[in-house]
Amino acid sequence: MSPTVAASTAKQAEQLRIDGNSYFKKNRFAAAIDAYTEAITLCPNVPIYWTNRALCHRKRNDWTRVEEDCRRAIQLDHNSVKAHYMLGLALLQREEYTEGAKELEKALDLGRSENPKGYMVEEIWKELARARYLLWEQESTSRSWDLQNLKETCEAALKEKHFLDASLVEGFEDENTQSNLEQLEALRRVFNKASEDDIPTEVPDYLCCKITLDIFRDPVITPSGVTYERAVILDHLRKVGNFDPVSREPLYSSQLVPNLAIKEAVRAFLETHGWAYKTD
Amino acid sequence: MTSPSASSRKASLSKIASNRLQKELVEWQVNPPTGFKHKVTDNLQRWVIEVNGAPGTLYAGETYQLQVDFPEHYPMEAPQVIFIPPAPLHPHIYSNGHICLDILYDSWSPAMTVSSVCISILSMLSSSTEKQCPADNDRYVKNCRNGRSPKETRWWFHDDKV
Repeated sequence: MSPTVAASTAKQAEQLRIDGNSYFKKNRFAAAIDAYTEAITLCPNVPIYWTNRALCHRKRNDWTRVEEDCRRAIQLDHNSVKAHYMLGLALLQREEYTEGAKELEKALDLGRSENPKGYMVEEIWKELARARYLLWEQESTSRSWDLQNLKETCEAALKEKHFLDASLVEGFEDENTQSNLEQLEALRRVFNKASEDDIPTEVPDYLCCKITLDIFRDPVITPSGVTYERAVILDHLRKVGNFDPVSREPLYSSQLVPNLAIKEAVRAFLETHGWAYKTD
Repeated sequence: MTSPSASSRKASLSKIASNRLQKELVEWQVNPPTGFKHKVTDNLQRWVIEVNGAPGTLYAGETYQLQVDFPEHYPMEAPQVIFIPPAPLHPHIYSNGHICLDILYDSWSPAMTVSSVCISILSMLSSSTEKQCPADNDRYVKNCRNGRSPKETRWWFHDDKV
């Protein structure tokens, strides 16, 4: 293909994308899909054509096609926020929660570095939290079921042992019964401890923003050493004033630095306390 | 008691505001500030709080009521905090219940909570050495007759010794 032909093909494809966008705005998704498909036929290497078409499929709840188009877009551009986001949603539709959440996390990281306060970030986070919570619900239910079975088995075994001991050793019944009761009590404590993480309580204060009182998503630290949720502290600096809300020292947005240690701590906490993903 | 007129008059709470207030309410229920009692209602946007004067101060044994109204963009904006009359006699508290306290206006910070505001108000009461209303009480209260909010007042803060 000569350069001029290639250029005119690209131009044609671009026009088709614009047409597709205007169909999309009018909710004419089938027409939009046709336009994007034509654009893709002309220039198959433009990731946006694929993600735009995926968005139409999403509107039509055609999740298999959403997945296909997003995978193609990711092959062309590993950093496409929209492709990772919609692929994540498609996987969740197939109840592939772990893989879906992974894609959403990727989209979230990419989206944050592009535009930390964008609407996409908030939307992706909500979907991710929902997926993680569902995942936790499933897993914790099966964990508690397993633990309950194991506990009952252990209790039965202890009681049986007590019965056997009593028949073998005569004259020490009281002592024997006492030690058996203590063992049963210890067993109960061990099992309570084992299920502790799965019982929703409060998120520790040090993992929560002093303004939102909610668990951190994108923590940033100020020169005073106080950590805040990024979007919220930016909002404060714009609306309330240029000071650190806790220390009241002067503060400018350029001084905010990501707090990677807290971010890691939050990640680790959420890993074992999935209930904390619950959003009201 | 709910007052639908008050809630329809104001914009409802933003997502961030209602989220945060719910968390504050839970925290208050677990760990209320000493000397205060939140009167339970289903109105998240207006809290009525009972204050008991601290023992050993001029206000010991007295009970007052605070009314806390939250703006749409709380905590980026301060809540409006007033005493429901009769207000305590105090050099910084007007007889219409308005309170001259910098953190409620210019010095508000979103890291403060209802609980920390309450503690500040109680400490303001406790440190008072005379039961007297502000010198400009009559003039101020007259100016507020049209139902003006204390947040619209251009406050000139008195000394912070009291």
